[in-house]
Amino acid sequence: MADEIMKEEPRKTYYVFSPFLRIFHWIMAISITVLFITGILITTPWVTYSSEPTTSWMALDWIRNIHFLFAYIFTASFILRIYGFIINRGDRLFPHFWKGYFYRNTIDVAMHYSFLKFEHKPFLRNPLARGAYATMYVLIAIEILTGFGIYYMTDTSSLGGMLFGWFVPLIGSEYWAHLIHHYVAWGIILSALGHIYMVIRAEFMEGEGEVSSMFAGTKMLRHKPFDAGHLDGTLD
Amino acid sequence: MERESLWDHYMKKGMSRRSFVKGCIALTSLMGLSTDMVIKVVEAAEKTPLPVVVWIHGHECTGCDESFIRSGSPLASDLVLNEIALEYDHLLSAACGEPFEAHLDKTIQQYKGKYILAVEGATCTKDNGVYCMSGGHTFSHLLQKASAGAAAVVAYGSCAAYGGIQAAKPNPTGSSGISQFIGNAPLVKVPGCPPIPEVMTGVIMHIALFGSIPPLDNDGRPKQFYGNRIHDTCYRRPFFDAGMFAETFDDKGAKAGWCLYKLGCRGPETYNSCGNLRWFQGMSYPIQSGAPCIGCSNANFWDEDPLLTRMPEYGPLGNVDKIGAAAAGAMAVGVAAHAVVSVAQKNMKEAKELAEKKGE
Repeated sequence: MADEIMKEEPRKTYYVFSPFLRIFHWIMAISITVLFITGILITTPWVTYSSEPTTSWMALDWIRNIHFLFAYIFTASFILRIYGFIINRGDRLFPHFWKGYFYRNTIDVAMHYSFLKFEHKPFLRNPLARGAYATMYVLIAIEILTGFGIYYMTDTSSLGGMLFGWFVPLIGSEYWAHLIHHYVAWGIILSALGHIYMVIRAEFMEGEGEVSSMFAGTKMLRHKPFDAGHLDGTLD
Repeated sequence: MERESLWDHYMKKGMSRRSFVKGCIALTSLMGLSTDMVIKVVEAAEKTPLPVVVWIHGHECTGCDESFIRSGSPLASDLVLNEIALEYDHLLSAACGEPFEAHLDKTIQQYKGKYILAVEGATCTKDNGVYCMSGGHTFSHLLQKASAGAAAVVAYGSCAAYGGIQAAKPNPTGSSGISQFIGNAPLVKVPGCPPIPEVMTGVIMHIALFGSIPPLDNDGRPKQFYGNRIHDTCYRRPFFDAGMFAETFDDKGAKAGWCLYKLGCRGPETYNSCGNLRWFQGMSYPIQSGAPCIGCSNANFWDEDPLLTRMPEYGPLGNVDKIGAAAAGAMAVGVAAHAVVSVAQKNMKEAKELAEKKGE
């Protein structure tokens, strides 16, 4: 009986995420939610029946401004992400796709997720998740490039114009830049839904602090994770 | 032969200095320059010889000319007869045949490095360009010949700039913009199907008077005419900001002249002067006439259908928002199923472990 309620077992606590990454993560979560909702409303706005634009609430104008505001906040928050990346190894758990073990472990994890194995090797962050997060950053980069590219096209000689102005001509058409921006937004939201499920599932199945790690920065693991060496630099 | 300037031309015609200065002021605003540039325009118009222009036509409908001859300020006739020296033009010339082609060769020789080459129409790249012939040669041959000695090349219309309607899928003739055939000559793109008449005349006058091409954006279009979105200069913009939209062509919003955004208006993606210059001396422009902009000055606008919705539709579901929502729904079901199996698997594993423990 007591076994089921209270269990005494040895665990190791790993400090993984710096506060900079954690703050960035939550800014990103809020920004992506706001950007997605406002973005959908900008593409398919509701109709206000008013007699004069000047007496209305200026609905779409506000929605656009919120979208732009959060675009700036989100992009600026990458400063935190980059700072954390520099000072803390735990913020650098990217996919080691140049290593054989990355592919072997990916297969191991994928087999567990498709119920072909009871469990996968313990990881600080499993290779499948690493690949997924790296893809997420690629999608976000596309959003930033298309978004600011469109935004600054009317002011090509400004700093923003010089930074982002080259991207829309590369795509060849601003209409397609809009479409790519919109399609990739759906990609990000669907990935985010998958991410939320996988994180909650990991917490439920393994109970090793997958959810709380994004608040506290630590994971409490029963077994030594395969990629523990990524924290102290002993594993390439 | 000494070539005359605009001022020489005015004097020869017995016109007053006052009307010359008035003409220069009109030109200044036409070229999209600020009023403090008037003095420079006057100076240039006094000294710069009238520019020699060679105007050739490729794979196109000649609609750009239809637009051009409707230029109101300056009048196209004025421009052609008084303000530029138009030496060769497929459409407006009375001459034809061998003497006409010989004149082109002579012009290219005589004014090497000084003449402006205006090009309308796309080039054909498929099958060595045989789908567009001019003077017994392919149009791309003519383009290479004429651009070699040109001071600047002006690509008039979306065809010359990007390939145009005939470049629409599947593009059987391999139509493309002219940029790959003009070597190192500086190129000004003046897209539009057709471009606004005053924009056509304004660009050529800028090159003519200042001897340099106007400031260009990342895509090579003159900033003074293509620096703003139609959406940002549209007189219906307040309706957009307030969320007042026409949803069909016969609803209350359409009758009241509200924003055409939900009817697929490409104003938010299109750079042109329709919103501020409008067409035919400010008479109207498509949105003012109740038709959503189709983005005719955009590269590839011909393949960006359907033109009357914001986003393309795919299959039975429709646009990406509907597909995305369906995918999210499918994902929710999948996730729920995965969760149930995960729990079952976990229970199985724990039961197995417990059995092993007891067995010890």
